[in-house]
Amino acid sequence: MAAAAAVSLEQIDWENPEQIGLWRDAWQRFRRNPIAVGGLIFVCLLVLDALLAPLLVSLHLIADPLKQDVAHSYAGFSPQHLLGTDYLGRDLLSRVMFGARISLMIGLTVQAIYLAIGGTVGLIAGYFGGRVDNLLMRFVDIWYAFPDLLFLLVVVAVLGPSLFTIFVAIGVIGWVDLSRLIRGQVLSLKEKEFVEGARAAGSGPSKIILRHLLPNTLGPIIVSLTFGIPRAIFLEATLSYLGVGIPPPTPSWGIMIQDGYQAIFAYPHQVLVPALALAITMLSFSFIGDGLRDAIDPRMRR
Amino acid sequence: MDDSIARLRWLRVPALLTVVGLLVAACGTSAPTTSNLAKDQTLRVNINTEPNSLDPGQEQYSYEGAIGASISEALLKIKPDLSDAAPATASSYSVSSDGLTWTFKIRSNAKWSDGKPVTAADFVYAWQRILDPRLAATYADPFFDGTIAGAADYLNLDPVKDAAKIPDFLSGLGLSAPDASTFVVKLQAPMPFFKWIASLWMSAPVRKDVVDQYGSDKWATSPTSLITNGQYKVSEFVSKDHITLVPNTNYWGGQPTITKIINYEISDDNQAYAKYLNGELDLDNVPLANTDLVKNDPKLKNEIKFVPQLTLFWMDFNTRKAPFNNKQARLAFSKAVDRNALATNVLKGRSAPATFFIPKGMNGYRPDLGKTQDFDAAAAKTMLTQAVGDPSKITIDFLIRNSTANKQIGEFLADQLQTNLGVKVNQVVIDSKTVTTRLRKHDYQLYVGGWGADYPDDQDWFDIWMTGSGNVFGGYSNPDYDALVKKADIEPDAKKRQDYYDQAQKILIDDAGGGFLYQRNYMFLVKPYVKGLTTTAQDFEDVGDWFWGKVSIAQH
Amino acid sequence: MAVAQGAPPRGALISFKIPRGRAVSLTLYIIRRILWLIPVLFFVITITFVLIHFAPGSPWDKEGKQLSAAVVRNLNAKYGLSDPFLVQYGRYLVNVVHFDFGLSFQYEDQPVSGLILKSWPPTAVIGVLAFLMIVIFGIGIGVVAALRQNTWVDYIVVGFSTVGASTPAFVLGIILIIIFSVTLYRITGGNFSLPTGDFALDQHLIMPVVTLATLPIAFIARLTRASTLEVLRQDYIRTAWAKGLRERLVVTKHVLKNSLIPVVSALGPTFAVLITGSVIVESVFNIPGIGRAFVVAVSSRDYPMILATTILFSVVVALANLVVDLLYTVIDPRVRLG
Repeated sequence: MAAAAAVSLEQIDWENPEQIGLWRDAWQRFRRNPIAVGGLIFVCLLVLDALLAPLLVSLHLIADPLKQDVAHSYAGFSPQHLLGTDYLGRDLLSRVMFGARISLMIGLTVQAIYLAIGGTVGLIAGYFGGRVDNLLMRFVDIWYAFPDLLFLLVVVAVLGPSLFTIFVAIGVIGWVDLSRLIRGQVLSLKEKEFVEGARAAGSGPSKIILRHLLPNTLGPIIVSLTFGIPRAIFLEATLSYLGVGIPPPTPSWGIMIQDGYQAIFAYPHQVLVPALALAITMLSFSFIGDGLRDAIDPRMRR
Repeated sequence: MDDSIARLRWLRVPALLTVVGLLVAACGTSAPTTSNLAKDQTLRVNINTEPNSLDPGQEQYSYEGAIGASISEALLKIKPDLSDAAPATASSYSVSSDGLTWTFKIRSNAKWSDGKPVTAADFVYAWQRILDPRLAATYADPFFDGTIAGAADYLNLDPVKDAAKIPDFLSGLGLSAPDASTFVVKLQAPMPFFKWIASLWMSAPVRKDVVDQYGSDKWATSPTSLITNGQYKVSEFVSKDHITLVPNTNYWGGQPTITKIINYEISDDNQAYAKYLNGELDLDNVPLANTDLVKNDPKLKNEIKFVPQLTLFWMDFNTRKAPFNNKQARLAFSKAVDRNALATNVLKGRSAPATFFIPKGMNGYRPDLGKTQDFDAAAAKTMLTQAVGDPSKITIDFLIRNSTANKQIGEFLADQLQTNLGVKVNQVVIDSKTVTTRLRKHDYQLYVGGWGADYPDDQDWFDIWMTGSGNVFGGYSNPDYDALVKKADIEPDAKKRQDYYDQAQKILIDDAGGGFLYQRNYMFLVKPYVKGLTTTAQDFEDVGDWFWGKVSIAQH
Repeated sequence: MAVAQGAPPRGALISFKIPRGRAVSLTLYIIRRILWLIPVLFFVITITFVLIHFAPGSPWDKEGKQLSAAVVRNLNAKYGLSDPFLVQYGRYLVNVVHFDFGLSFQYEDQPVSGLILKSWPPTAVIGVLAFLMIVIFGIGIGVVAALRQNTWVDYIVVGFSTVGASTPAFVLGIILIIIFSVTLYRITGGNFSLPTGDFALDQHLIMPVVTLATLPIAFIARLTRASTLEVLRQDYIRTAWAKGLRERLVVTKHVLKNSLIPVVSALGPTFAVLITGSVIVESVFNIPGIGRAFVVAVSSRDYPMILATTILFSVVVALANLVVDLLYTVIDPRVRLG
């Protein structure tokens, strides 16, 4: 604890906040956090993988993830198939690499939807309190009480099973947790002296929300979002399990975990490989989240 | 969600047959001597899903039949080799020379689980009850309204608007009980397969006084009021967990060796497999992915029990839509799938490839008729191009139910069609009810359909491809086929009948009404101490579940 | 200064002393919130009813052998589904007011209320136990990790919470079964192993509860750690440090109290989710709970069961949220409600 305080003091001595902007300043601090940078590098590699995977296939560097060879299903590790093959003899490594595309896309898009809806509802409810809070929170109650599954089935039936449908479905049903979290934060923050100070100084609600409340709730939000990414990926897996997931043959980690689970006694690596990919991705997002929070926390600038 | 995962239980129709005639024998000579028997004669099996009802008039799923086969007994029961229906609650039956009147003699010592005698009136009541539109019995149509004289009006009788007409309709049916031990049924036409209807589980008798006392919808929900006439009776319901059966001490055919059957309702295959390994289950349906593991395990491989089933799957083409309105195109699709790879590799040798409709184990099994659909990728592609032009311009919507097993087979088929024909296949994987709705609305192009025998008579199979059938969705229609099947269904001469059916099957295969794929087999693990297991090709959820009465547990 | 302004009464982590004026307004607040439940439920019922109406597939659509049109007509008549939508809706509302939730379609006319009463207790027992584990371990290790930031303790906690949050419950569940049931059974020759599943009030509970609690523990631990670190950087904590107060006093008096706000906020929904059942855990361990019952109801289009379970869920969620809001006022007396 004392160490933490010392570090931040050191930073303040070392930098000149007057000259460097908030975000550049944050970047400077983030850069010096090796774990966070490691996480960032992994995520960048993942993004690269997601973008370049089709190219690697056409260059024959990795196998075609959709190419079936049922005579060699559930094959073990071999030079041709570094991670073996799945139940239809498809290359597992290549499927994991392609799975990153779908999973990343879902994880990120869904968090954006959560943040947009949940963040707005949470901030407004928390800040204005009273009648507005009550109304919004009752709306949240209704939303929360609602059978997700039924909603998903209807959405999929109306829009047809597709990637877009999954984004909408997962994004729209899951924002409630975040909105409650933010509301709770704001509810307590708005009584704090610096907010009261700002209000006394004549700042309007939108300025207070954006300038003072939002940055101060950032820590928990980032933590929640970092956890939200793999949760969205799991949710996608659960959706597949319930028959409203991404249509085959597109590989996603969720589907791979689901399929691998069937073979968990006989071929445990079928589930462990995508689960591990997911875990490492998750770990990386957590490290980035921690690094970011430490870096942009406004109180550390003082 | 949980009930359809991972197992190919698509078509486990209420194959509602019970087979006991041999129960007497089971309790006699074939059972091991008591000195070899374990003290605890409890059998623990998995029926996968909680039954919705055990009322013979209400049941429709195989996980209900799995219990029903033991607790309710119809007039007749099929033999284990499915060659015939043997006497059960009826000790004998006779058919009039015109084939229209069937007279069943009820056993004088047939008793309900509360000790009262089973009478012909119990059958008259049970069958009238099934045909009462207000009960909405699930399979009143076609088993009962399609056979019994005077019952055809069932289709037009609205339970609300025509309520006043219902009593007359019921009393006008061809069902009567001249005395307590004689049950007479008059049919609409001579139907040689009626012996199978009389052995359906839902044909079991029902007690009017019990239904009146506890209520038509309540009597089958508690062990006290569920009074049945089978060899076993229900002693305990534990919701979503298990149902326990104990012997019916009043049963006419003597007492079984197994004194307790615990039917677990475990939907997760891995969980059931773990329970088997730990000795908490005596039988287990091996999860598909574990097939090779089990086959190579020095201990488990000796516990494998392999049982072919009368269940067959095919590609259901929607013949109302292009390209499947073209017979040659359908044939091309049928020829484009490597059934050996499907059966041996994807399904791990647990299914038999099929290019024909009637599965092994039935009279009508004629694999030679399937040549037209034999796998030939090159010929298939040429055929398709000739029929409808450039295959790469064709996109097929392939409707797939959402269980893992269905999805895996769907992925394989889609890949075969794309690779071998060059068409594009869109896999539409959605929840089961939605799939059925779309099928019934004909809103699809391709689907994997199938059929499991209700009873081992060709009529049960051939009728489903008749014009306007509700059980094949593709709208296949060929007047020649219809005429042959209609003739065969009521033909008393067995040889002629088989000949008509063979001709019909050839038309169906050559027309590619369906692209036939494989016959499903059961691969179970059975503990070595389970003795006397008697399997049939129509088992419900566990191999041998018609014949628990013949099983015993050896010392172990 | 922050410490002076916001200082809560000394000596207690959570103060239950509420001034009389506040007690009255709090009571009014609770009453108002409970009354709010009526319109909430009305909306939930209406939306669910409409959704059911538009969801594809009817209760009588099935795999395999199809029901004939005549049988479907008879079933619709029997269950009142042939009436117009508004008639069905109105009838349902009237029945619900009389606490009559109807008869199940799937389980041939068994009353829905009975089915729910049968399947809720196992879910509730496992949910409550898991929740206790989450509160104790989640908050506990989160705070410890924050206080020992950048030490091996911290790294272990972060590592656990990362792995825990990235393991799907069905994977964790089956791994536990393989280790503690199957392998242990084999190693010990059947003398010692955990049961693979089913519900009973004994060692049957261990694996399901652990499986259910692991992910939320990881989540709560991380959240607690993050918000505790946040609070530790506040001026008043630094001031307290500067004054040389003993660590434990600082922690209990200032840090925990302030850092718990986001945690409590997350625990409310977590509790609601646990108590209304986890489909995955219930199916992996074959537990006859309400989560599975609900999923089965949706997939079999058992309308009365879907509606009744939804009503139950909304009541539980609304009450859990109410409790969370009340806890805010207790933890942080500056928070005003109503």
